[in-house]
Amino acid sequence: MPALLVEIGVEDLPAEEAENIAQSFRENLLFGLKEARLPHGEARLFWTLRRFALLISDVAERQEDAVEEIRGPAVSAGLDSQGNLTPAAQGFLRRYGAGPEKLVRRKVGEKEYLFLRVERPGRPAEEILREIVPQAVREIPCSKFMRWNGGMAFLRPIRWVVVLFGGKVVPVELAGVSAGRQTFGHRFFGHPLNLSQPEEYTTRLREAHVLVDPAERAEVLRRAIRAVEEEYGAKAALSEELWTLILGQTEWPRPVVGRIPRQFLELPEAVVVAALREEGKFVPFTRGGKIAEVFLGFAEGEGDAEVIRQGYERVVGIRLHDAQEFFGQDRRKTLESRVPELKGIVYEARLGTVWDRVERIRRICRVLARELCLPWELLDRAAYLSKADLLTVMVREFPELEGEMGGIYARLDGEREEVAKAIAEHVRPRGKGDELPETPLGLALSLADKLDGVMGPILVGEIPTGSRDPYGVRRRGSAAIRLILEKGLRLDLFGVIEEVRDAYPGTTPAEAVKEFLWERLRSALEERGISYDVAEAVLSRMDGDFLGVWERAQALQALVGRKEIADLALAFGRVRNITRGYEIEGFNPELFEEEAERGLWQAYLLAKERVEKAMAEHRPKEALEALLALKDPIDRYFDQVLVMCEERDLRENRLGFLLSLSRLFLQVADLSRLVVPG
Amino acid sequence: MKTFQDLILSLHQFWRKQGCAIVEPYDVEKGAGTFNPATFFGVLGPRPWRVAYVEPSRRPADGRYGENPIRFGLHHQYQVILKPPPPDIQDLYLRSLEAVGLDLRKHDVKFAHDDWESPTLGAWGVGWQVWLDGMEITQFTYFQQMGGVDLDPVSVELTYGLERIALFLQGKDSAFDLRWTDWLTYGEMFRERERQFSVYHFEKASVERARTMFDFYEAEAKECLAQGLVFPAYDHTLRCSHLFNTLDARGALATAERESYIARVRALARACAEVYLSEVVRAGTPR
Repeated sequence: MPALLVEIGVEDLPAEEAENIAQSFRENLLFGLKEARLPHGEARLFWTLRRFALLISDVAERQEDAVEEIRGPAVSAGLDSQGNLTPAAQGFLRRYGAGPEKLVRRKVGEKEYLFLRVERPGRPAEEILREIVPQAVREIPCSKFMRWNGGMAFLRPIRWVVVLFGGKVVPVELAGVSAGRQTFGHRFFGHPLNLSQPEEYTTRLREAHVLVDPAERAEVLRRAIRAVEEEYGAKAALSEELWTLILGQTEWPRPVVGRIPRQFLELPEAVVVAALREEGKFVPFTRGGKIAEVFLGFAEGEGDAEVIRQGYERVVGIRLHDAQEFFGQDRRKTLESRVPELKGIVYEARLGTVWDRVERIRRICRVLARELCLPWELLDRAAYLSKADLLTVMVREFPELEGEMGGIYARLDGEREEVAKAIAEHVRPRGKGDELPETPLGLALSLADKLDGVMGPILVGEIPTGSRDPYGVRRRGSAAIRLILEKGLRLDLFGVIEEVRDAYPGTTPAEAVKEFLWERLRSALEERGISYDVAEAVLSRMDGDFLGVWERAQALQALVGRKEIADLALAFGRVRNITRGYEIEGFNPELFEEEAERGLWQAYLLAKERVEKAMAEHRPKEALEALLALKDPIDRYFDQVLVMCEERDLRENRLGFLLSLSRLFLQVADLSRLVVPG
Repeated sequence: MKTFQDLILSLHQFWRKQGCAIVEPYDVEKGAGTFNPATFFGVLGPRPWRVAYVEPSRRPADGRYGENPIRFGLHHQYQVILKPPPPDIQDLYLRSLEAVGLDLRKHDVKFAHDDWESPTLGAWGVGWQVWLDGMEITQFTYFQQMGGVDLDPVSVELTYGLERIALFLQGKDSAFDLRWTDWLTYGEMFRERERQFSVYHFEKASVERARTMFDFYEAEAKECLAQGLVFPAYDHTLRCSHLFNTLDARGALATAERESYIARVRALARACAEVYLSEVVRAGTPR
């Protein structure tokens, strides 16, 4: 079976989005083939900023034939006693223009119906492709749609289309462009080329100076970075964002190494790194915690390396010259003197200015300082200064330096080192993989910042729904939880939220914030390898000690799969089931009659002491082990004791006891939620 | 050597051959060639339109007292509008660079994602900054809206930074060393001017009088709009925009106030676009 090549040629896509566009195209086209019943072999995706292409081996030349059965009247209504068609059945056939020979009988549930068998012979692949290729492109989600008088909207104008099926062009029409076999090589070092077969795609493009396979480009980048690292004994200061940009910016990357003029090496490292990385232009390097004198850029194509190096150095010099000016300008005022100006920056209409936000963060910090035993004056000082760098020219020019710059300026203003560090760290983590703060004050300030970012929007009614989360509340919630779980912060988060609720406008109760964070905690547990049922078990009771929940989840997850825990879960399930719906406090052991009752009671007392001690000391593993000792006594109890006996006093006493037992379990986890095999 | 004026003449030659009307800069202060009526009104409505011109563009906040090699309070843009743009518009643009004397095969040319927006004009578009060896030399934009109006057909705007391109052509590191012609440098023409305007905009401009003038021109623009005099109204809108830039450079505007000034200019620009479309274009009056 022939191979299929579909290439969409576009004007330069945003480097940061090119890969996503290609991936969506792949999904859409493969989905289209599947829907259309066109079997195929392996699919390989290629992309640069100027094209995305899918090369699929062994594509069927015709759709598979299909038979569809359409339900008509019930047999009882469609056939008379002689087995002849009734008017109802005749009408049904007429509607589909079919003869009675196509009717079959099929049972649906208890009833038998007449079905019409419709054979749908497969259509040729070419016909299908003319429909599904344009659709696969049109359904790509773009960050922004533009029009270019081409009759459709897309991320950038579509300028050529190649659809080659075996050696044949499939006449697809897209955005006013007719598909052909002509593609284009590199803008300056390539040429138009006619493809005769899909399989020659990557080779012919390579000859025309296009590395269309992103893996090949990544290899060129990595090799060049390694070479600089080795030659200069330095380490590349890459970021995920920078990598995406440099991988997306060129079709034929050519490494060019430049040098930073000496006078700029005195600037703070973070500033030089930000200036070089800006817009994905250059890769900075560091050596021993300081900026190294080299940088690396990737030119598009095979230009004159010497000319390009000079150009790069000039641009870097100009930008660093700017940075130096910004630095001098910013230093004319202290951070402290800028704080009142935050009253002029609107944060959100209902939530006031950034000044108001700082005031709320200080409120939260006050509670956190108490809960986490931190020096409140220092934390408050850091909180007070934390957003002042938003007013500096440097942060306006390099937004990624927010926080970091505040820390640098605070230090130069003579603030305490702990305060400067906390300011620098409080914006972390910015995204999923970002580093967390390291100092205790930085952690607390970051947590306060994230909590405010969650509480503010939710309390004025902006609870994220579906994909709508304009205030980034989910990201901030996840960051807060990460801080607590990964940095081991022991505190009652719900208590903190209730305590500061009155600092916020809006009528939404604090409960909404708690529930939102509780759901975020569930995702956080599952992301960290906790299975669904274990998460259910530890989340059955709302608890503001998120670290404790995480510890219980880990302890339980470690035991899951072991037979004793499955048995214990079953035993506890019986306790839960029989007590469901009852609310009885306390019991009287003197009313116990059976041996097994007294046996479980003794075991309960022992376990209670151990569980409570272990839980107070945050050792959930020991608490679970103590509960394991209850398994046999529970089984014996249910074998010998009739809980739902006739005598009301006896019955309620037994239920009261079992409820106490149940509460003991629930301190650790609701084991009845575990999915037990068999 | 290709002088600054040769660069302008080569672009004129190139775009004249592409059927552009070569027009002159507009005589009211403005922050970019986009504000020239030949662009603002030209891209509205259905009629095909091709123009090219140099636009001295004033951005008070970008002034650097004549001490920065490529930042100025006034720089020279070369502006091209193609409505509708031809399908090979990217190639055509690159050919214009070769026509002024750049050998692109020696350089690193990138079209880097940069969507353009002018909040005061109520305009936005998508496109790129064109980087030559990492330096932005052109803003390349497919306009989608102007004055708050969806454009159909869309136009392409090319905005060349003439000083920056000249640095490449003349092998200089500072624009003040550029030769305007064989007996005159860019520095001789503009350095003192840059210094004085920086002093004025950053230190001396009267905030009170600038605010008063803004109010005055805004009122005048509204009055003109009420009379259907869209072109005079637009001139006053430009004056408001420039006064806003002056106040901004002077550091006189707190964030919230800044937003409100932008909104006031935008309201005027939108009204101009609407009046132009409803009265001038529909009436079939030639421009």
